[in-house]
Amino acid sequence: MSGLDLAERALGAAEGDEALALVHSERSGMARFAGSAVHQPTLIENEVVELQIVRDGRLGIASVNRSDDEGLRVLAERAAEAADSAPADPDFPGLAPPAQPPPVEGYDEETAALTAEEQARLAAAAINASDLDLYGFFTSGVTEMALMSSTGLAVSQPMTDVAVLALAAVDGASGYAEQTGWRLADVDPAEAATEAVEKAKLTRGAVELEPGSYPAVLEPPAFAELLAYFAYDAFGALGLVEERSFAFDKLGQRVFDERFSLADDALDPRGLPKAFDFEGTPKQRVELVEDGVLGGVVWDRVTAKRAGNGHESTGHAPPSSLRNWGPLAFALSVAGGEAESAEQLAETLGDGIYVTRLHYLSIVDPREGIVTGMTRDGTFRIRGGKIADPLVNLRFTVAVPEVLAELPGLTREPVLLNHNAYYDDRYATGLLSPAVATARFDVTGVGSGPGV
Amino acid sequence: MRELCEHAVAAALGAGASYADARGVVRRAQVVGTRNQRVERLDDTESEGIGVRVLVDGAWGFACDRRLDNEGAEAAARKACAFAKAAPGGQSRELASVEPARGEFRTKIERDPFAVPLADKVELCLRAESALGHESVKVTSAAVRAQREHKVFVSSEGASIEQELVECGGGIDAMAASDGITQMRSYPSAHGGLSSQAGWEFVESLGLEREAPRVGEEAAALLRADPCPSGITTLVIDAEQMQLQVHESVGHPTELDRVYGTEAAYAGTSFLKPDDLGSLRYGSEHMNITADATTPGGLGTFGFDDEGVPAGRVPIVQEGILKGFLTSRETAARIGSGSGGSMRADSWSRMPLVRMTNLHLEPSEGSLDELIAGVDTGVFLRTNKSWSIDDKRLNFQFGTQVAWEIKGGKLGRMLRDATYTGQTPVFWGSLDAVAGADEWRLHGLTNCGKGQPGQHAHVSHGTAPARFRNVQVGFKQ
Repeated sequence: MSGLDLAERALGAAEGDEALALVHSERSGMARFAGSAVHQPTLIENEVVELQIVRDGRLGIASVNRSDDEGLRVLAERAAEAADSAPADPDFPGLAPPAQPPPVEGYDEETAALTAEEQARLAAAAINASDLDLYGFFTSGVTEMALMSSTGLAVSQPMTDVAVLALAAVDGASGYAEQTGWRLADVDPAEAATEAVEKAKLTRGAVELEPGSYPAVLEPPAFAELLAYFAYDAFGALGLVEERSFAFDKLGQRVFDERFSLADDALDPRGLPKAFDFEGTPKQRVELVEDGVLGGVVWDRVTAKRAGNGHESTGHAPPSSLRNWGPLAFALSVAGGEAESAEQLAETLGDGIYVTRLHYLSIVDPREGIVTGMTRDGTFRIRGGKIADPLVNLRFTVAVPEVLAELPGLTREPVLLNHNAYYDDRYATGLLSPAVATARFDVTGVGSGPGV
Repeated sequence: MRELCEHAVAAALGAGASYADARGVVRRAQVVGTRNQRVERLDDTESEGIGVRVLVDGAWGFACDRRLDNEGAEAAARKACAFAKAAPGGQSRELASVEPARGEFRTKIERDPFAVPLADKVELCLRAESALGHESVKVTSAAVRAQREHKVFVSSEGASIEQELVECGGGIDAMAASDGITQMRSYPSAHGGLSSQAGWEFVESLGLEREAPRVGEEAAALLRADPCPSGITTLVIDAEQMQLQVHESVGHPTELDRVYGTEAAYAGTSFLKPDDLGSLRYGSEHMNITADATTPGGLGTFGFDDEGVPAGRVPIVQEGILKGFLTSRETAARIGSGSGGSMRADSWSRMPLVRMTNLHLEPSEGSLDELIAGVDTGVFLRTNKSWSIDDKRLNFQFGTQVAWEIKGGKLGRMLRDATYTGQTPVFWGSLDAVAGADEWRLHGLTNCGKGQPGQHAHVSHGTAPARFRNVQVGFKQ
């Protein structure tokens, strides 16, 4: 049974003024390994049906992962009870109208057909390519999202995703690499492992660094993660509407280096394409920053209605479990620059630090965009324009707007970074990011050395 | 469901497994959340399925299926075995011996949270939110939650267990903003409120509406407060922030799977080594940490873990010396000590991992006021705001929503944007007092992440306010 067929049956069970059914199915496998042996394999088969029922302007939501008639009856009963329990919201925008989602790529038959045995063999390809102990995973999945509503909406999209994460590590040395895409052909587990090993071998003998402000080269995994933490709040409409976010009083102002341009673009085939959001609204590319000028934020129907002033959804409604975050920029895309490589960025800086990957970020102040975290698995000193002595993991506490205020360079080609820890239902997202050189990266302490 | 799990285990053994266990789980959860007097979330979710874990020639396999019927159980068992047979790596795994358990466990509750009308929950949130109101407060929010999990565990060794765990909780937040400054206050805890394994009586006991005016006023007052100055000073940390301190700098480092490196690629490892057991000085003599899966009301309380090991109470740190690890049957066998008891999965679709249960900082004596009275110059910190720790759990930096200056043994002006940082054993070595049992509180959190695919664990920490000397607040100047 297709997702739309199941959504139609769920709608048939609903009693309300309006209703929307969302079906999310998943078949996935993850071969997670440590010390070059698989220790946490997980093969998942699931299909979740969510029903949103509207009664007198009141919205109730329920979900089950059953598709039998009794399961759908219980689902409809609970969604109706939820709707009846809520006071009417004068700003409720109603359900999304029918719309034709844009054509997108993002589905690959070969990836969808991978079996458990093949997923294990692809993990083995990474492990066998490493002469150091390897930690990480190979994962692939096929998912489908289908939405149908009483307002005439009927959209569905099958999606595939694949990722390999490789951490080559021994006592006192570790290196990291990752590859992700929506086609199996996008990733080469052995290549990722080899890159991680080469990086790890450079990290032996790491030394400490005096806290202070340093110019820095951030490889794509490091820059993308830092940007994502900032973007959660800064580039969503909820914080703007509530007059509390970084973007609230800065739209239209040049706040970053003019070399920095950022969009949210789920339609880009280089990313993990999505055709519509969790309200069923077609995805739009949104220019968040153009040549350093803060251009806009992403919207869903709820925030657009609340803001008024002609705002419309840009197709960024979150899943119902994340409604408290408001609309989310799930497909950040940083425009590339002129540099051919991260090594060339190091030459540009002359002196500074080189960061491969970050760890355990936390938002210290969302309004100021202050984020703290650690570097790991490949942190180096840059001396004389060359990547030099390895460093221990560094504690940083940075105001992201200050990091973005002066970017001496960015690499030409953005790469796709996996942005999933695969909690809850699988909805694969990624970021397109180049490596960047920044004039300011604030190191506030030192931590453990590289390695396990 | 017991028969279904037995069927899955039989299917796994038939497919070549030397060991198999099956967990059938039905979980229902409700979340009611309001924000600025609008209903933001009114969700009722139910998820069910079966997860089958196998060992084939020493290799793990795990597969799951949402279908609670023979077809789903057999499919999961077959796929788990097929993966294990193809799994790479030199595989050799042993499990610590345990007596196959047969039994039941149910949370003791006074009022079923699912019998409370949703409309009442909405009304409670709106009333509490309304009481948060203040001129400078831009965002008010309130939320309550409830969860019931019914699960059956069957193993090829003969274990057969049925459990029903019920939990609920709630909290309120006020966010004030003015002149480019944004500040938050929460009650009774940040990041989603406070939860307990209990019935609806727990939510009623929180007094959300009663506490709301103070919370709103403190959020507004923070806009006018001075930033917390940097420097090395004495800290008195409230019980709620202490739960985060225990969680991040003691709980995770003592998970024995992390010590052996299995989380290296994601959540990180540990500065501890297996042979540190019994000898490593973790902190001062005032530091006593216990893992207790039997604590009434704890989110990590159960009759049996997800490997079928009975709940127990284990010393982790005694008078500052490392005395125990949190273990699975596999890691316990590897270290030759204990028999597991800390394996938990966040759903039917995830493989169990070594997780915290309820990890407590044992109380000592005295009151919070007495801790503060013993400080000439220092800072009192309350309610977590930010948290980060390195991949071996050594360097940490935590921030709190609010702080107060301590001068001459008394609280002074309110301070905002306080952070403190340290190295785990050095920091715990600076512990010079823990308040007594009257100040000890059980804190339940629901957002502990680990594993790939990711899993959220619900864990509790009993803590009392504590005092630390010579700690770096803010950054070195």
